[in-house]
Amino acid sequence: MKQKNSMNRQNRKLWIVINYLSIILILCIFYTGKYYDWPVFVIVCEAASFILLIFSFIKVFIKTQLWKMSHTSDKNLDERQLQVMLNSLKYSYSAFTIIVLVIVYGFAIAGQGPIDVVIAACLLYIAHTLPAAIVGWAEKII
Amino acid sequence: MKSRKLYNRIAVLRKERNISRKELAEIIGVNFQTVGYLEREEYNPSLDLAFKISEYFGLPIELIFSTEPLKPLIEEIIELKNKIGGQ
Repeated sequence: MKQKNSMNRQNRKLWIVINYLSIILILCIFYTGKYYDWPVFVIVCEAASFILLIFSFIKVFIKTQLWKMSHTSDKNLDERQLQVMLNSLKYSYSAFTIIVLVIVYGFAIAGQGPIDVVIAACLLYIAHTLPAAIVGWAEKII
Repeated sequence: MKSRKLYNRIAVLRKERNISRKELAEIIGVNFQTVGYLEREEYNPSLDLAFKISEYFGLPIELIFSTEPLKPLIEEIIELKNKIGGQ
C-alpha cells in the first residue's frame, strides 16, 4: 500500500490526544447541556468540540493514511504493515474492553441504567479509530 | 519471543545499484517505508522476503544478512579469497 506521511511522530501523538480529548469534551458538554436544558452557549461549545473532533480526525487519521491502513484488506499490506496492524489490534482490543467495562459498570453503579446513544456512538468511534491511533502513536514512520 | 537483531547490507547494495527505495520496494513487493525499516535494521524480514532481496541483488543470503555486525563487503571478499587461496 502506498502512503504519504505528512506528520512526524510527536505531532501525530499530539493530534491523537486532541482527537480523544474532543470526544471527552463532546460527552461532558452533552451531559451539561442535557442538565441545563441546552443554553445557546453550551450548544456553541458542543458544535465547536464536534468540529475539533472532525478536524483532528482528518488531520491524524485521513491525511496520514492511518485510517486507510487500518481499514484496508490484508492483501494490500506488506508483511511489516500486517505485523504492525495485528499488534495494534491486540492492544486496541484490550484497551477497548477496559473502556467499555469501565463505562458500563460506571453507568450501572451510578444508577444511570444502560448506556445512552451518545456514549454508544462514542464507543463505536473509539472502536474504529483505536487500532489506527495505536499505530500512529507507536510507529516512528508509517 | 524476542527475535535477534539482523544486520544487513541492503542500503549499500541499493546505493551501489543506484536505485531508489521506492523502486526496490516495487521489485520486492513491499511498501517503500518497509525498505527504510529494513535498511535501518529496525525490522527483520521474513525468510521469503529475505530470499526475494537476495535474488534481486544476485548474492547469497548470508552475504546480505547476518546476526553479527557486518564488515564492508570488500573486506569479506578479500577474506574469502584468502581462505580459498590458503586451501
